[in-house]
Amino acid sequence: MRNRFRHRIRNAIANPNLQVALDRNAERRMAAWNETFASLPDVEDLRRRAREVRQHTLDNLDHYLERFTQRLVENGIRVHRAADAAEACRLAVAITQASGATLVAKSKSITTEEIDLNHSLQQGGIRVVETDLGEFIVQLRGEAPAHIITPAVHLLREDVAATFERELGMPYSTDVEDMNAAAKKVLREVFLTAQVGISGVNFGVVETGTLCLVTNEGNGRMVTTLPPIHIAIMGVERLVPSLDDLALMLQLLPRSATGQKTTSYVTLIQNPRQEGEPDGSDERHVILLDNGRLAMANSPLAESLLCIRCGACLNVCPVFREIGGHAYGSVYPGPIGSVVSPGLFGLSDFGHLAKASTLCGACKEVCPVGIDFPTMLLRVRDAYSNNTPQPLAMWLAMSLYAWLMVSPSRYRLAQRLGAWGSRLLPKQAGWVRTLPPPLSAWTSSRYFPSFAFQPFLARKQRLNYDAKPTPTPQRRKRETEQLTEKSQPEDVVDRFSRELEDIGGTIVRCEEGVAPDKVAAYLREFGITKLIAWGEQQPALNAVIHHLRDKGFEILDPCLPRGSGPERDRRMVDLGRAEAGLTGAIAGVAETGTLVVPAGRNQSQLASLLPPVHLVLLPASVIHQTMTDWLREGGEEAIAGASSLNLISGPSRTADIEMTLTIGVHGPGQVIVFCLD
Amino acid sequence: MSKTVQLFVTCLIDSLFPEIGEAVVEVLMRAGVQVAIPQEQTCCGQPAFNAGYRGPARKMARHTIEVLEDTVGPVVVPSGSCAGMIRHGYLELFADDPTWLLRANMLAERTYELSEFLVDQLGVVDLGASFIGRLAYHPSCHLLRGLGVDHQPLDLLEGVAMAQVHRLKPECCGFGGVFAVDQPEISTEMLKRKLAEINQSEAGVVVGCDVSCLMHIEGGLRHIGSSVRCAHLAQVLAGREATLR
Repeated sequence: MRNRFRHRIRNAIANPNLQVALDRNAERRMAAWNETFASLPDVEDLRRRAREVRQHTLDNLDHYLERFTQRLVENGIRVHRAADAAEACRLAVAITQASGATLVAKSKSITTEEIDLNHSLQQGGIRVVETDLGEFIVQLRGEAPAHIITPAVHLLREDVAATFERELGMPYSTDVEDMNAAAKKVLREVFLTAQVGISGVNFGVVETGTLCLVTNEGNGRMVTTLPPIHIAIMGVERLVPSLDDLALMLQLLPRSATGQKTTSYVTLIQNPRQEGEPDGSDERHVILLDNGRLAMANSPLAESLLCIRCGACLNVCPVFREIGGHAYGSVYPGPIGSVVSPGLFGLSDFGHLAKASTLCGACKEVCPVGIDFPTMLLRVRDAYSNNTPQPLAMWLAMSLYAWLMVSPSRYRLAQRLGAWGSRLLPKQAGWVRTLPPPLSAWTSSRYFPSFAFQPFLARKQRLNYDAKPTPTPQRRKRETEQLTEKSQPEDVVDRFSRELEDIGGTIVRCEEGVAPDKVAAYLREFGITKLIAWGEQQPALNAVIHHLRDKGFEILDPCLPRGSGPERDRRMVDLGRAEAGLTGAIAGVAETGTLVVPAGRNQSQLASLLPPVHLVLLPASVIHQTMTDWLREGGEEAIAGASSLNLISGPSRTADIEMTLTIGVHGPGQVIVFCLD
Repeated sequence: MSKTVQLFVTCLIDSLFPEIGEAVVEVLMRAGVQVAIPQEQTCCGQPAFNAGYRGPARKMARHTIEVLEDTVGPVVVPSGSCAGMIRHGYLELFADDPTWLLRANMLAERTYELSEFLVDQLGVVDLGASFIGRLAYHPSCHLLRGLGVDHQPLDLLEGVAMAQVHRLKPECCGFGGVFAVDQPEISTEMLKRKLAEINQSEAGVVVGCDVSCLMHIEGGLRHIGSSVRCAHLAQVLAGREATLR
């Protein structure tokens, strides 16, 4: 294992494309990280609270797991426990096979990578397609993801272009938009025909039995909405007790992961499709995966279970920046991987990863839940050297070193030997140019200072320092930071509008009475004639829909037949042709420009997902300043009462190729909010 | 008036760079404290601890605790990582040993890194030093993140007359103790990055508070034939020949 690690490290360092890609990743991600955290008032307090929530959850994990399971079952979701990877794969394959499915659409999930699920599905005769753009690229290349949230981080656009040319038969183009469009076309077909969707889970909310997915492209929504069967796979530790706790985590996860205040979509799933609902998976399964986590919770590495898989520690790690993800040889690379890989998969195979760190602590500094990485890495090293065979020479060297150091006279002897030794070695201006092996690894790129013939401790007796007059100690006046800016909070609708436009959305403010005309005018301007719309809802929305019908717009019936079959396929194809979707929203969140769009009776989810344009009617009176405000003022009930609910922030987006932003991937590329005053 | 501090000079300074030790003593005396130097001190044990060899590390930690607990007053360490070892590492080493943990704690509570001691404990920022030219300050990782000592060295450098101070990015130089020999390829790449940044800064001297990082950086500078040299903060503050040797 160790030798292969060395080999992969050398290859990574010698790969110029990889080096460019890794440098860009580090620079752009950290610039975005800095910017987005600057928009938070008290980051330290948030992180402290997040850590407390996670710690409390882990301290009471058995209790919360039981409650969570109970709530899921009450919500109509089928729950399975898997002790290890093999059992989780068996379960997922069995559910898929029992449904007769031959095609699985999968959204990005590092947990499914951990258990190598795709391999098991394929062995079971099932075709599985990764639908996250980055995952799609690495799947086409037959590679593993190189990063826990940016799977194709190791590739330049030229690499992706060559892959698409070879695997998709697309003409070679390094235009990122072209490449995204090509992938979108292939994957749209997969969404519309897959009978099973498999996703991970970012957080499970215990009190409501909610599955929370945090995504950008829209593929996560597709995979958890369109296929008749949805299987979610999550580690047993990924729980938070309440929606309030979730709101806290959602302030930190997107910021830490991609430098966004929030992602395009936060999907909150409670139930399978309910009576009267036009769409949504009919059957939902959750596989709760242990695979070593519960054992780790009782080990010195327990703290690493606080991790919320944001990947910030990878982006900031100077070692990751040099060697990338694949070199680690584990699905979990970087600082977190160097702790959880040995923790979950065994010391003998992965313990050496912890040595590839300078303990610089940059990872600890950015960790949203404050995992003490240097201490974790030191514990892995301790366990590794104690529990796996180590080179005898290393053990001897360490024992000799300690033996010398616990005796001042032996220490002085060692210094003298060092000084004589230095004298014999080739030097330049007093610095040793070449050390004998194994220390020659040092002098391959650095000279080494020679030992002094007269060490400091031996010197001091003859020192005769002049006690200089003591200057008056001056305490520098530190600029008192002025944080007194206590201006009035910005008007909630203004703030909402600004944030929405910041993330590429459009806002049209109008009186409720003129909304029907405004919407119709907008549709005409863009040549849109065919829409998916919500059914009977609030009067304002109904008025718009009636008006559009009167004016000759085609409003499609969004109701999908249950199960699989030709009738459903036909309807899906038809709905896929819609040029716009029209929905309401039950709330807006100003701090992030977020729309709260539930799924329920007459509330088509496809309307906000499938067409390239999403039109939303949002009464100004339901806009709240923050997510927490909304949760307190009816949000919690709304979430618990909806079979699923999406927090939509602007258009769908991806930056999986060279971190170049493309708007409009699987979800709508335009989000137009008609804000009704 | 004058209080006495115990200087834990660190084995690297003692063995490789005794001049830095002298500069440290001079700086502390200028700041108005008397310096005692416990003669039985050796190595804090950090290299063994960091390499995962806690048995040997504990032996050295016990020796260091025994030597220093016989003394009174603050313990000053002119190295961020060694100070961090005594403050944090020892507590981890003796987490399961209540007696030694208590002793380690008592030592940890009176141990300070040099710049931290000068600025936070003595309130000194101007030691009357001067330096003509451009200095690049390297914030070493264990000092900055391990101990949270960020502004103190810069405050002290600000007090150096005529010096132009350039702040290098808070990025690791690639030393990492045994790491530098265990993973020479990664270590070298990280060092290259640091050297490039130093070159760009146009500074003649790189100053820092961790001799281990400084000898790594200067070893690299010398290897590529650069004329830039490194100096410990104490050397700059003492106004001595500002280079490691």
